[in-house]
Formats: sequence, C-alpha cells, structure tokens
Amino acid sequence: MPKYIPPEQPKVMQVIDIAFIVVAIFVALWLPLKLGLAGVSKAIDKIENPTWESLGQNPTMVGFWEKLGYDPTTAHDIIQNKFHYTWDITTLLVMVVVVVGYFIFLFRASDKEYREVIDEKFGDKK
Amino acid sequence: MTDAAITTSPSTVAPGQRVSLLRVLGPAHVWALGVGIVLVGEYTGWNFAVDKGGSLAALIVCWFIGLLYTSVAMIDSEVTSTVAAAGGQYAQAKHIVGPLMAFNVALYLVFAYTMLEVSDAILVGDLIVTVAGTEGLERHAFVVLTIVVLAWLNYRGVLMTLNVNFVITAIAYVAIIILFFSVQPWSQGTVLKLGDLITPENALPYGWIGVLAAFHFGIWFYLGIEGTTQAAEEVRSPARSLPYGTMAGMITLLIGAAMTWYVCASLLPWEYLGFTFFPLFDAARATGSGFLETLLFWGTVLAAVASANGCINDAARAWFSLGRDRYLPTWFSAVHPKYRTPYRSILFLLPIALAFAFIADLNQAITFSILSGLLGYTFMSINIMMFRRKWPLGSIRRGYTHPFHPMPAIALLSICVITYFAVFLGYGSQLIAMTLFYIVVSIWFHFYRYKYVRRGDQFTMPWPKPIGY
Amino acid sequence: MWFTLSYVAWALSAVLAAWMLFDWFKTDTTYSEDVLTSSREGEIEAATEKHKL
Repeated sequence: MPKYIPPEQPKVMQVIDIAFIVVAIFVALWLPLKLGLAGVSKAIDKIENPTWESLGQNPTMVGFWEKLGYDPTTAHDIIQNKFHYTWDITTLLVMVVVVVGYFIFLFRASDKEYREVIDEKFGDKK
Repeated sequence: MTDAAITTSPSTVAPGQRVSLLRVLGPAHVWALGVGIVLVGEYTGWNFAVDKGGSLAALIVCWFIGLLYTSVAMIDSEVTSTVAAAGGQYAQAKHIVGPLMAFNVALYLVFAYTMLEVSDAILVGDLIVTVAGTEGLERHAFVVLTIVVLAWLNYRGVLMTLNVNFVITAIAYVAIIILFFSVQPWSQGTVLKLGDLITPENALPYGWIGVLAAFHFGIWFYLGIEGTTQAAEEVRSPARSLPYGTMAGMITLLIGAAMTWYVCASLLPWEYLGFTFFPLFDAARATGSGFLETLLFWGTVLAAVASANGCINDAARAWFSLGRDRYLPTWFSAVHPKYRTPYRSILFLLPIALAFAFIADLNQAITFSILSGLLGYTFMSINIMMFRRKWPLGSIRRGYTHPFHPMPAIALLSICVITYFAVFLGYGSQLIAMTLFYIVVSIWFHFYRYKYVRRGDQFTMPWPKPIGY
Repeated sequence: MWFTLSYVAWALSAVLAAWMLFDWFKTDTTYSEDVLTSSREGEIEAATEKHKL
C-alpha cells in the first residue's frame, strides 16, 4: 500500500479548527446550564414551625447540628430538601440509544482507520 | 535538588537534536500525581453520594466503586507499562482501538481534568471566603491565583511540579490519618456516634434507588487515579514505576476513603453531610478541637491545590499528544527547550479553565468531570479485552500483567453501566448533551480532520503486527 | 485584610501570567518551529526497551 501523504494545512485553517473545538466545548458544557437542563429534581418538603423533633433528629444529631451553629429553622431547608427519584422510560431509551450508538460508531470508524494504519505500518513486511 | 535538576537540563539545543519531555520521575512522583489528583475527592465531592442515598449508601458505593477503580488501576498498569507514551490512555487507544477512539479518549481526558481543575480552584476560593467571613469578599481572586500559580509551576518543569505535589499530597493525607486517630476510632460513643447518627430509619432514606443514584458521586472517592499514566513519557522506568506508583496510590486511596467515611458518618448527621462542601473540615469542627479544625482546613486547601496541579499536568499532556499526531495542529506539540514541558498546551488550556471557573458552579463542574471519566472507563474495559486479543500474553513484553483477566474488565464494564443509570437519574440530559458533543466532534474528525494525519506514523510501538489484521 | 489579600492575589496572578506570556514569546522567537516540535512518541521507548521475548 502506498504511503499516505497528508496535505499541508494552511495556518488559517488550523486556527479555524481550534476555534471549532473550543466553541464545541463551550456549547456542550455551557448550553445545558443555560437551558436549565442540568440538575436534579430536588424539592423542599416544607414543615411549618419546625422543631428538632418534627425534623426527625435525635439528641445526638441535635448536638452536632448545634455545634455547627444551626437551629431548627436554619437546618430545616437542609433536612427537608429531598430528592424525588422519578424517571420515564422514554428518556432512558433515548439515553441508551445515544450512548450505545455513539460507542458503536466510535469503534467501527476507529477500526476502519486502524486497518489503514496497520496496513501502512506493516504492509511491506510480514 | 529540584533547582539543580532544572538548571542542569540543557538550556541550549544543538542542531539536529530533538527536544523531548524529560525522563526524571520515579514511582513516588507517579504516586503523587495519582493520589494528588484524587485525594481532594475525600475532602469534598464524595459526600454528595450521601445526599443521594444516605450514609449507608455512600459506604456501599465506596466499596463497589473501589472495586471499579481497582480494576481500572490493574488494567491501566498493564496497558501503560507496555504503551509508555505521554497521553496515557490516548496512546493506548491509538495503538489498540484506532485513531478516532484515541481522539475521543484524549478529549475525555482533557475535559475530565480541566473540569476537575476548575472544581478544585472553586473549592479553594469558596473555602477561603467561608473562613474569611468578610462581607462582600468574592472568591474570584483566589480561584484565579490558584489556577495561574499552578500553570506557572507546570510551565517551569515537571520535576518541581510533582515534588511539590508529593509534599502537599502527603500532608493532606496525613491530616486525614491524624483526624482519624484523634477521634478514638476504636471506641464508638466517646467522640464518634455512628450508632446514633445512622439509624434503621435513615440508613437508606430513599431505599435501593438511592444506592444506585449514589454511584454518581461515589466515583469521586477515586476519580483521577488513572491520571498516573500521563507521566509515562517522563518516568525513568515506566515498566516498573507506573504499576508500582498506581497500585500504591490505589491502596492509599482505599484506606483514605474508608477512614473518611467512618469519621464523617460518625460525626455529621447525614442530611448535613450530604449538603456541606467540606465534609472533613466540618467533621473536624464537630469535634470541637481548634487544632483539628486548622489542620483539616489546610488539608482541604492543599488537597485541592494538589489536585488542580496534577490536572494541569495531565490535561496538557493529553492535548500535547493530540498535536504531536496532527489530530490537532502540530503547533501544540511544542516542547519548551529549557523546561522540557508542553508549554503551549499548558498556556492554551489556562484561559479555558479560567473561563469555566467563572461560569460554572462546583456541582456542575464536578458532574462534567465525572461524565468524561465515565466514558473513559467504558473505553478502558473494552480496550483491555482487545489488547489481550491482538497481542496475547507472550507476544510482547509487558511491564506488568494483571491477574484474573477478563474478570476486572467485566466488573469494570458492569459498574460503568450502573453508573450511567445513576447519572441518568440526576443528570440524564447533560449526559445526552455531552454524548452529542462527542458524536459531532467524532464526525468532524473522521470525515474531515483525519485527512491531515499521517497513517503509519501513528503506530510508534516496536511491536509485531496485531493478530487479526 | 482579606480585601488587600485579594488584590495581592490579582497582582500576583497578573505578574505570573505576564511572565509566562513573555517567556512564550521569547522561546518562540529564539528557536525554530522544527526544533520546538521535534518530540516524537515512542522514541526513547524504541531505544531502551525491546519488546521481543
């Protein structure tokens, strides 16, 4: 197999390539934040006039809370802030398809490129 | 010692001589790089697993994820002691799976480490602002200082960088040990109140779904230990130092994670433990000892600094390797003739880290890092199976051969699947967004960028032809 | 005091960043691009380790 000689890339295109990667990174990381997609369903289950007892804290726990400088009112938002684990099967399927599809494409395309590499590297000798 | 090493390195380059990274590191530096990056996870981050599923769930995932990372460390040691090149998993992927995979792996690494670096710097800034307690004081100055000083250190040479990392990592680790022994861990009830804090009602407040969800942040106990491989081109004897340093690091971390969980779960109510950003520091405060409080404050700062330092080192090496193979412009593959560091890569990643330190918050930065890490581990489990198939034992010389193959690879892949589900429970849309990003850049690379890459030259190991090609 | 410290932090960051930029400029103008990008993967590997049994 003849040796593959890559074309020379002009300087300007190199800069554009880098700009593309950087923009893609920012879009991927920043956009979910801006669209408010990130994060979990966490909500505060409010209790009126909380006491340590109604917050379900035993005397030992109360001791540590107080050492850290909390009273029932300030601790309320921490203790009652709870997850609500719900999910729907559609989103899960979308995720599975995207991730699995990504890996399949990745390994297939890599294999194609890898064969060229091996052919060129080991082509003339056994 | 370190100064001498820097000044004795050739400052002028003779014509025709090549400028490469310096081979100056030993196993202790490998340990410092690996543990240095990870240890901050004991100081913050792992405790969000408590938030997701309760204290007991955090302990369960600590063990399971410990298993995952032991597999990672074993697999990595075998492959990297054989493929010893800067870029670590990137060079592994290039020789075993193929160029596109390698490109993706390098991006995972750059993402995981840069976001971790950002989290570390934010942590330092937040902690200083918390301790200062001054109205109107912003964290930005301290965040920027952390990132810039460490970039400078990295710019000036790898030996000094990792010597510093060794010292500060050791101090941060000793701080955990001191905390552990000063709360009389052998007698529950004196200082520690595990039995009162974890009751049958609150051990698993969300049941088993909470345990699954906790896998997400359980990763944080050990995330980054695989970074030891980035030093492959700079250690004196990669075949020996890398497995040794990585395994020693993993053992250090398993012990550290166990101590951290035990002390924190015995001193802080789980709701608080899952909420705080500084679990060990708060545990020290809960003991009421001023000495421990100061010690763990410095432990947190040093652990975060060590981590950011290692991350800059690793991300720059991965980026540098991409340039060297023309996956990105070769401009990035420059090595500083005097300091022998990939200086342009270090400088290029610096403003990116700074930008994210301003726009992201700690939780989000951590999640970005975890997602990229997770994609990387998925790759590693498949990679090792292909490695053993293409070059069976005995066909090439391996620095280290991991036992029980393919059990570690299968364990690793199964735990990755569980963790994907855990991520889905909290950050599913982010995972999809990130994967879409990787799909887009993969298409870009495969159909456009790859034409600038030399084919056969990418394969640099003096190995025989792989079986099946 | 903390505000003074934060100004010191800004100043120090600026100085170090400026030094790196200066050194970068100096290095890039002193050495040719061929020398700077002459590192090759696996070079030392091939010289020191033999992967034959």
